[in-house]
Amino acid sequence: MEIKTSEYRVWGEGATIHYEGTMRLSGTAAYAPILDLMQETLATKPPKVILDLTELEFLNSSGINLLAKFTIDVRKQPTVGMQVIGSTKIPWQSKSLPNLKKLHPAVELTIV
Amino acid sequence: MSKTVSYGTAFDTLKPEAFASVLRLVDGPLGLTWQHSSITADYLGEFYALRAAAEGLEYNMVRHSIVYLVNELLENALKFRAPGDIEIATALADGGFEIVVSNVITTATAEKFGVLLAEITSRDPGELLIERIEANAADENSSGSGLGLLTLMNDYGARLGWRFEEQAGSELTRLQNYAALDLRA
Repeated sequence: MEIKTSEYRVWGEGATIHYEGTMRLSGTAAYAPILDLMQETLATKPPKVILDLTELEFLNSSGINLLAKFTIDVRKQPTVGMQVIGSTKIPWQSKSLPNLKKLHPAVELTIV
Repeated sequence: MSKTVSYGTAFDTLKPEAFASVLRLVDGPLGLTWQHSSITADYLGEFYALRAAAEGLEYNMVRHSIVYLVNELLENALKFRAPGDIEIATALADGGFEIVVSNVITTATAEKFGVLLAEITSRDPGELLIERIEANAADENSSGSGLGLLTLMNDYGARLGWRFEEQAGSELTRLQNYAALDLRA
């Protein structure tokens, strides 16, 4: 499971989904393949889904909406936990990721 | 006389004494594409972050905030514009960044956008952001309109303003979208 362009790469590794690069796609439809990849991981119902964003330098608001939408999908699965790992070096993560906890307080948000 | 309607933060032309630039994305034979938002945002982010860093502000934070802001405003301009150029006036002064993006949209688009703006400028952006995300997730066909503006207001503390000026004798409206960011925050 991998989606790769010259600007970004998203891939799954067990229950962890890794994101790398700069994502500025034009809207919900353009992000659909990425949401599909994330939902494939969720469909395996692991104890915990991990989103590793530590290499995702930039994400536009449509992409932030994608993470929010996925967080709500995880919330509907009471047996599946969720951890989001970000980096203090990437400013958007400290600014926008706390919104995911508002949507689903059980989200474990780790910004290192 | 043409009709003018405003929402959000009131704004004027940018301070002439500030460190400033004006860019015009010309809707010429090559056209304007989605990529113009990121290229322009990256350029302005770099341009102002270098200057801000020389004034003692944090380069990485300034660069990112400006790139995010400019990118969101230009994505909106590119998505909703009618044929025509997009002008981007920007300025850095007293630890703050200001921008006015100006382009024409159809009057029909202006009316729809006005309804959205009346709502998002009348409520707490943090609450509204969460509400809109929930509503979006429940509706497969929802485009998530307004979420970008709400992230700017809530996550970046941006002050936003809009001015719509109907162009006499046409179905077009000139839209000016203003934003201000405190870079010391």
